[in-house]
Amino acid sequence: MAKRTARFYIAMLVGKLAYTTQRLLGMNATFFPGKLALQICPDFMGQVGRPEHLIGVTGTNGKTTVSNLLVDLLQTQGIHTANNRKGSNTKAGVACAFLVNATLSGKSKNDWGVIEVDERSSMHIYPFIKPDYVVCTNLFRDSILRNAHAEYIAGIISAYMQPDTKMILNADDLISSGVAPDNPRVYYSISRLPSDTETCHNIINDCQICPKCAAKLSYDYVRYHQIGKAHCPNCGFASPVPDYEAEVRFERQEMILTERGVPQIYKLISDSIFNVYNQVAVTTLLREMGMSPDELRDGFSKLHIVDTRYNKTKVGGIEVIDHMAKEHNPVACSVVFDYLSKEPGTKEILFLLDDEKLLENMTWMYDCDYEKLNTPLVKRIVVPGNRAKDQKLRLMMAGIPEEKIVIGMTDEEAPGYLSLDGTEQVFVLHQCYKPDLSHKLHQRIEELIRERGA
Amino acid sequence: MADSEEKKEVVVETLFPEIANLYGDHANIRYLKLCMPEARYVEDALSEEPYFAAHTPDMIYMGPMTERQQELVIEKLRPYRERIEELIKANVLFLITGNAMEVFFDGIENEDKSRIEGLGLFHYTAKRDMFHRYNSAVMGRFEGMTLVGFKSQFTQSYGDNGAEFLYEVTKGDGINRETKLEGVRRGRFLGTYTIGPLMILNPDFALYIQRQLGAAEPHLVYEQAMRDAYEERVRQYESTEFVLL
Repeated sequence: MAKRTARFYIAMLVGKLAYTTQRLLGMNATFFPGKLALQICPDFMGQVGRPEHLIGVTGTNGKTTVSNLLVDLLQTQGIHTANNRKGSNTKAGVACAFLVNATLSGKSKNDWGVIEVDERSSMHIYPFIKPDYVVCTNLFRDSILRNAHAEYIAGIISAYMQPDTKMILNADDLISSGVAPDNPRVYYSISRLPSDTETCHNIINDCQICPKCAAKLSYDYVRYHQIGKAHCPNCGFASPVPDYEAEVRFERQEMILTERGVPQIYKLISDSIFNVYNQVAVTTLLREMGMSPDELRDGFSKLHIVDTRYNKTKVGGIEVIDHMAKEHNPVACSVVFDYLSKEPGTKEILFLLDDEKLLENMTWMYDCDYEKLNTPLVKRIVVPGNRAKDQKLRLMMAGIPEEKIVIGMTDEEAPGYLSLDGTEQVFVLHQCYKPDLSHKLHQRIEELIRERGA
Repeated sequence: MADSEEKKEVVVETLFPEIANLYGDHANIRYLKLCMPEARYVEDALSEEPYFAAHTPDMIYMGPMTERQQELVIEKLRPYRERIEELIKANVLFLITGNAMEVFFDGIENEDKSRIEGLGLFHYTAKRDMFHRYNSAVMGRFEGMTLVGFKSQFTQSYGDNGAEFLYEVTKGDGINRETKLEGVRRGRFLGTYTIGPLMILNPDFALYIQRQLGAAEPHLVYEQAMRDAYEERVRQYESTEFVLL
């Protein structure tokens, strides 16, 4: 830790005042106090007291869930953490979490810290806070405006990772498993599942050539996108051998996690493969940090994944489901579309994946598997907003009949265009920054079901 | 197959689709397949000899890729430089989008001034700035039609394309922020940073490509939906002040 300067103490005082004021005003206070502290003392994060055990969590998808699981699981074992779960995962958000966690003199109040880190913010965070461990869940295409492509993001993480940080990496992802190649590392994996395929069933797979020799990779199996197991027939490069490998038994709601040859059974806390990955990542990390299998089992027995991105109610026999689908993130949206398509029951979809900005780039739609929505169970798709005509064209290119697609209304009017006749599920697919809108429309849909039922 | 037989069908060659597939632009060819299902679509893997090495396709398409992959593609194509030049002179239709265009330039310059030598077929230099991504919408005039699309890139290119630009930008920027001349056009080599996918965002451009390929009856699948989206975008672009995103 760098020597504390007068600027640091001023930043700490002003930041704490800003935090208290914002809290008194009923605000979240998870960003601005940190921003202020950094403006006063640019090296604030280098000087502020750091928890003795510090964990960073990054990756395109799953980092929020993994961070929350870690915080909650440690809590079940009586361990309180400094964390940024309620705030931003960029530089100011992380600075704010450290500010709140520190005393006025700058000393850390907690011995443990769990910090979610936006991949693009790596350069502003890792060199200052120097985590002991970093979990990287996966790297996929994300917003092309910010993230360009997964290889670019992998390069940023590698460039700014501190040499002593131990990486907890997903062996099933050939992109993220290669980050920070000189760092100590531990790999986790989920062994072959019955649903795995020989070839990729998604539009995009960003790891089709060998990262070493550029020959075409041969996949032993593909789970989704580039997730799977592959090897290079030319140079022998292959997916890393996992230190922790989970055999998932969905029917028994458990996994056998073999860690360096020794099997341990854990109860699954979710039946989604994406959350199983998150649970395996958490288990791997905490085993590496010395938590015992029994402590982990005890912790998991007290947890479930609180998914603020998913909210389901049932009215008049119809399920109304809010589901976040991260706009501009083709993989996250494809995953949601795939999940939705596999849910039994006839369904209608309210599509709130619109852009506020008229000039916003929408090319991600053509990387995303809209084709998954082309199922007889999807009866109607209602698309409000600025980009409705683009969405309609993309849905039609996915083979969805035009008569199923309804456009030309505002967000607020959209529920009125649902038929709700013979419908068993209504999905409200919304963006990260529109939870309030989706909540409002969810309530309106419930009202409509009651009115029409009456 | 004899050459005379080959000429009976339109052959569209996509270069390295396993890597040159960023930003949804691979949908250009997916859409062309819907409109011209009778054509033959050839895909060249990076590890194979390109189809054009021994044949003359009617069209060659290549889309955006990562920076590391640009270097792989340049080295892959370098032995075929003369053949590519011959194909350009023979008026083969090329549609090269995003940073794929830079492969054909003199070179690509990194921030530290290190340089990757390109194929040298077009005398421009692309300059990378990996810390500043350039994101914008773009609109311009091409062959009497209004073209719309997007740009999302780490590079700006420099060189005089006054005699061989693809289209004149009416809103947004050309190959760099100081010019309104976008892309390169030599014969039927069409290169542009504009992504979209171009053929989906611009119905008349999709018809233009089909006519260039000699389609007997150029047509647009999902024409009405496509034109509705296009007209909406043109309206929005015309009434919106362009800013970098």
